[in-house]
Amino acid sequence: MSTATVLIVEDDRWLAQQHARTLAGSGYTVATAPHAIAAMSAVDDVQPDVIILDVLLSGNTGFALLHELQSYGDTGAIPIILCTNLAADMSIKDLTPYGVRRILDKTTMLPDDLVTAVRSVLL
Amino acid sequence: MSAQSGTHQQGGNEPLNDSVSSLVAAAHELKSPLALVRQLSLMLESADLSIDEQKRMLRQITLTSERALRLTSDLTRSARLQDAMFALEPINPQQLCEDIIHELTPLFNAHGREVRLVARKHPLLLVANRDLLRRIILNFSDNALHYAEADSSVEIWIKALNKGETIRLGVRDYGPALSSNVWKTLQSKLERAPQSVHARPQSSGLGLYIASQFAQAMNGAIGVTRHHDGATFYVDLHASRQLSLL
Repeated sequence: MSTATVLIVEDDRWLAQQHARTLAGSGYTVATAPHAIAAMSAVDDVQPDVIILDVLLSGNTGFALLHELQSYGDTGAIPIILCTNLAADMSIKDLTPYGVRRILDKTTMLPDDLVTAVRSVLL
Repeated sequence: MSAQSGTHQQGGNEPLNDSVSSLVAAAHELKSPLALVRQLSLMLESADLSIDEQKRMLRQITLTSERALRLTSDLTRSARLQDAMFALEPINPQQLCEDIIHELTPLFNAHGREVRLVARKHPLLLVANRDLLRRIILNFSDNALHYAEADSSVEIWIKALNKGETIRLGVRDYGPALSSNVWKTLQSKLERAPQSVHARPQSSGLGLYIASQFAQAMNGAIGVTRHHDGATFYVDLHASRQLSLL
């Protein structure tokens, strides 16, 4: 069982609960934030090992958060997993410079895909 | 139109004539609820859940499906707006809002939020189509549910403006302040038909566009006011003179 901490940035509360349940079941410590502003506070508070990030958030988008995280040396090193409905329109190659290590498609992913993705970026 | 800083009102609309962009916008708007329903169903299939957890997830599936169905219903209504006749009649907005709140309370409670009416002492009457006005307020409320902070209230209020000539119904949420960029995007969403998600990453704005069409069909307009801790979406409609004739 892992003790790594995962921050889920997802504005759909019920979807965030499902992600949290899946990851907690695999032993991860989980924190959630519903928008980019709360996410920056949570990054300071819980110092996550991985961030799972939705793109279409209330207020600022996930891309604004990516830029903010990249502004600091420590937060810029946190691996990001994008979990989005827009996965088909995104390229991992374009987003790697922003710390994005995996892209999950919300419309096709299985719950366990989240655990597999987190494990892979923590290797 | 209000001269208040941070307020933007939508005026005349062009017909929803870009069918491809509208289709993309509709597909985009429906992706989120469908993806959530799918995830909940997968969890129900695979996870070892208590009866209470199963019931909660089934309830979430029902409520999420109902939200998605409201959008599809609005889309159908919007597409037929040009062909149909809509009867305008004097309506008591307070009664209508009470009915809407009764309908939405289970959804808001399930999200840990509250929706309430800021009651008026003196009744007002406006001229509207009951179904279209109901859809506008449901749309604003749905939007507020998405943006409101957890455990916060969404308020629906009714005001008379322009010496009683105009009645404004507003839906106020308390959430993160809108950044200037988001504000500019929102303004353009109130003015233009929905576009491809590539052009407008936050959302397609389809719901707002439909609401503006419904308002226009009732000789009204929608608008938004930015607050430091959230936003108010509103619809302005003509007051009914029926009360003054009594």
